[in-house]
Amino acid sequence: MLQRDKDTICAVSTPQGHGGISVIRVSGPRALDVSRALCRFLPKNPESHKAYFGTLTTKDQQVEIDEVLALPFLGSKSFTGEEVVEISCHGNPILVQWILKELVTSGARLAERGEFTYRAFMNGKLDLVQAESVLSMIESQTQQSAQQSLRQLKGGLSEVVENIENELTWCLAHLEASIDFSQEGIEIVSSDELKLRLSKIKTSVDDLMKSYTAGRILREGLQIALAGVPNVGKSSLLNSLMGEEKAIVTDVPGTTRDLVEGAFILGGVRVLLSDTAGLREAQDKVEKIGIQKSLLRQKEADYILFAFDVSREFSEEEAKILEAYPTDKVFLIGNKLDLIGGDTQKATQILKKSPSLSNFFSRIANPEQFFKERVFFVSTFDKKSVDSLRNALSKHVEMSQIEDQTLIMQTRHFENLVKVEALIRAARELVSQDSSAEFIALELKQALILIQEILGKRFDDQIMDRVFKEFCIGK
Amino acid sequence: MSLYDYDLIVVGAGHAGIEACLVGARLGLKTLMVTTNTDRIGYMSCNPSIGGLAKGHMVREIDVLGGEMGLAADATCIQFKRLNSRKGPAVRGSRVQSDKHKYSAFMKKALQNEKHLAVLQGEVKKVLLNGKTCEGVVLQDGSEIRSKAVVLTTGTFLNGVMHVGMTQTPGGRIGDQASHGLSDQLLEAGFEVKRLKTGTPARLHKDSIDWSKTIPQFGDDRFYPFSFKSPHAYQLDQIACYLSRTTEKTHEIIRNNLHLSPMYCGIIEGVGPRYCPSIEDKVVRFADRDSHQTFLEPEGLDSDLIYLQGISTSLPLEVQDQFLRTIPGLENVQVVRYGYAVEYDYFEPTQIWHRLETRPIQRLFLAGQINGTSGYEEAAAQGFVAGINAAHAILNRPEFVLNRDQAYIGVLIDDLVTKGTREPYRMFTSRAEHRLVLREDNTIDRLADLSIKIGLHGAEAVDLLNDLRQRRQDLHEKLQNTKIYPNAETQEKLLSLKTSPLLKSVSYEELLRRAEVDSQSLASLGFDIDLDPNVCEPVEIQVKYAGYIKKQNELIEQTRRLEGLILPDHISYSDIKGLSTEETEKLSRIRPRTLGQAQRISGVNPSAIQAIMIYLKSRRLAGEELPLGKQSK
Repeated sequence: MLQRDKDTICAVSTPQGHGGISVIRVSGPRALDVSRALCRFLPKNPESHKAYFGTLTTKDQQVEIDEVLALPFLGSKSFTGEEVVEISCHGNPILVQWILKELVTSGARLAERGEFTYRAFMNGKLDLVQAESVLSMIESQTQQSAQQSLRQLKGGLSEVVENIENELTWCLAHLEASIDFSQEGIEIVSSDELKLRLSKIKTSVDDLMKSYTAGRILREGLQIALAGVPNVGKSSLLNSLMGEEKAIVTDVPGTTRDLVEGAFILGGVRVLLSDTAGLREAQDKVEKIGIQKSLLRQKEADYILFAFDVSREFSEEEAKILEAYPTDKVFLIGNKLDLIGGDTQKATQILKKSPSLSNFFSRIANPEQFFKERVFFVSTFDKKSVDSLRNALSKHVEMSQIEDQTLIMQTRHFENLVKVEALIRAARELVSQDSSAEFIALELKQALILIQEILGKRFDDQIMDRVFKEFCIGK
Repeated sequence: MSLYDYDLIVVGAGHAGIEACLVGARLGLKTLMVTTNTDRIGYMSCNPSIGGLAKGHMVREIDVLGGEMGLAADATCIQFKRLNSRKGPAVRGSRVQSDKHKYSAFMKKALQNEKHLAVLQGEVKKVLLNGKTCEGVVLQDGSEIRSKAVVLTTGTFLNGVMHVGMTQTPGGRIGDQASHGLSDQLLEAGFEVKRLKTGTPARLHKDSIDWSKTIPQFGDDRFYPFSFKSPHAYQLDQIACYLSRTTEKTHEIIRNNLHLSPMYCGIIEGVGPRYCPSIEDKVVRFADRDSHQTFLEPEGLDSDLIYLQGISTSLPLEVQDQFLRTIPGLENVQVVRYGYAVEYDYFEPTQIWHRLETRPIQRLFLAGQINGTSGYEEAAAQGFVAGINAAHAILNRPEFVLNRDQAYIGVLIDDLVTKGTREPYRMFTSRAEHRLVLREDNTIDRLADLSIKIGLHGAEAVDLLNDLRQRRQDLHEKLQNTKIYPNAETQEKLLSLKTSPLLKSVSYEELLRRAEVDSQSLASLGFDIDLDPNVCEPVEIQVKYAGYIKKQNELIEQTRRLEGLILPDHISYSDIKGLSTEETEKLSRIRPRTLGQAQRISGVNPSAIQAIMIYLKSRRLAGEELPLGKQSK
């Protein structure tokens, strides 16, 4: 743990959610520098307490993010008693996250809960009564800290980070063993192997940073894939969801050979909906390419809407396709409800009892909840049923992607990953220069601490534990 | 007549006890050493060597601070090695093999030379308590000896039990009785007492070994003594050690007899050290290895005994005979003393302050294996620190605590009191997060000022310390201020040194940064350099590794402020808002000395540190100026 009180920190200081305006506060000795890296319109020596208007860009100035007002508070004449810049931007949570991420890239770190107030107190800007209220804020943070781990994030992310941790520990265990147990005649890692492992770690870290969701969704939109076997009505579903005739609709199986994409706004987020070619043994070459593309698209998708025909038995083939998807991405859409007289209850019963689906449901922790939140029955001729699907999706997008805690944590993780990447690069360079193990270890140990912060763990004796486990040591 | 018989009583005559006694006596205190066996003062119960990686660092630290271990090791060295000599300067470590009898004799003489020190043979059954204060000891015969402070350095003797096969014998070491009573008394006084285990290999008769089947291992030609006061030449004849290996047959015999191993049939409950496993452990846990190396180390120049490094065991005697004879060179070996394991009591070290005084009882200090450590160097380091702090308490001087960025000794004690230990604790370089600046070569630079303040060194040694520091500084400045110019003669010499010619004039410091250039090459280039290894080596390292050292210092700087914030002893954590139940419990139990230490306690979150800061500031309890801003009012 490092001394953190001299860091420049940033956070949103307006209530979370969709508002007209969000205010991001940057506080600390480098507040102005860090802000100027994004707000190029700010003069080098701005006036205190004067608002400046301009375009905020990414640090590399490649992308314009938003038009903002920047308000510097210089000297100690601010809420925290430190140099402060307040940036007012448009009140879109994802936009706010993006700006925070860029501030972190430029050298700030995210503020802990209550940290602005804490600094204000330490700098004599608040009295004891106010300070006591800070303490209760800190307390609530402590109670939550147990949950502040990657487990809250979706997908295989925690597995990826744990792999990085594992690889780093491996490298460190070998480096440390080569130092402290050099007399034991144990095998020591070669620099080629070390380089290879570090390169792999670096690739994983790079990939993680790229997958950083908040930024990606804003740039690229949320990816939703429509999937299902041929002729269950995917294309008409797509059209209904988007409200325009985009895909070609016929009753000949295999008509949709390419990806049909459409964009629309859902829960304040741009959604890219792709209709994927019906999955079945393809007959011709064009269709084959279409199917390969759609498999790829489904893998990248944030959500998969798996459509099936309620008038038919859920087939083994469909169940098999379903097996391949992570359950937390899947929505089951029973189409053609009109063919069974619009009886949702009947449709539900059939689905629950379907023998081919029992395997899929057994993978789900809470099937009742799944049925409530992830299973929909629609008829494309019934606008109301499609609307209710759209509303449910929109709610889901908001809940999972914009939920404040998740986003904040993601930015924290990103903050750490930026540093880890630099440390791994430095370590690899040292290996190439044939540096002694302790210098390489210095970089890697810092990287490990940062990775463990993401995992909500604490750096302890695990390197030595690993050494004793793997090597036979002892005189 | 004084109320006290002595100022200071030290119980135990091992590596910790000796340092504690010497410090007390040298600071002018009337000191008594009590030991059950005066023939075993400074005895090496296990391997006959001092130093090694991270341990060598501590020996040098003890030496600069004014302890004895380094001098004794230098004077009795029969083989010296600088380990990791090809690695970076921070992880090089010195190790000597000592003539163990001469080592003992050296220490005995050192004790005899102190006029304030007396040695008494006897067993301490209890400590004398006056409420929560220790005021002396009670011996076996019931007699009381009163003192102002007591240091316990009981090693493996508290309720010690030795194991060989299924046989258990009370005792702390072959030939010596265990101590009973003291543990029980302290357990009653509220101490947490636990068990640990350690073991030692067989000692072999040198004439029964076929040396031709072993590979001799020689020491280094160049001697870097531990002590800055020792001569740079070997004082005794140097010997070789011999390498051999276990065989498949050895492992088979061990595997077939595991049911007779007290470790493997549940008789031993104490936890043994993972870095020093018995041969049984090695064979079981690393079943895929068909051979383990072992070094045959003579115990002294005149000794007939050979120490068998790496083969500690507690198997029955006849099994030991059997498996030893499957090791090349030992086909007809005669065992003089068999290997055994020993289990003993230790006190969970989170119960002591950094000054090594116990929290439940004032004026009672603990050092060495009683705190859960292993190793002569770890013991001596604690004995030294306990000795100073006991003396300082008596003399009403401030406590003596080394920081983690100052010395390995600081890392050792901070680890013990902050985290406790479940296995015998041994020092490793990797335990020191600031190891790049905790080097053997800069021990004097790190600790000389402190040492002079403590005042254990005579005037001559102080002059030597100051002289060395001055010469290092002079040399460094001269390197910075003297330039070398690219003339024909220089360029030719540089080429002969296999380094590139100069493009323009540079300082000698700049030139020394090159990988191919060292102090010797500067001398050959005509630079008038102080070639005393105690001067040119540390300066060279400082120049060559300046970048890394700077980086490490920046990391230290980031931690220093919290480290400098002393927490008052009486702070009540349950009064602090914002701490979780777990945090309150841990902080109250471990009672960190600084905010930095609080942060190292597992389970204490960064937000807790902020909560404590606010608490301290709002009640103006902080020992010194708070890190942020000005003190209000």
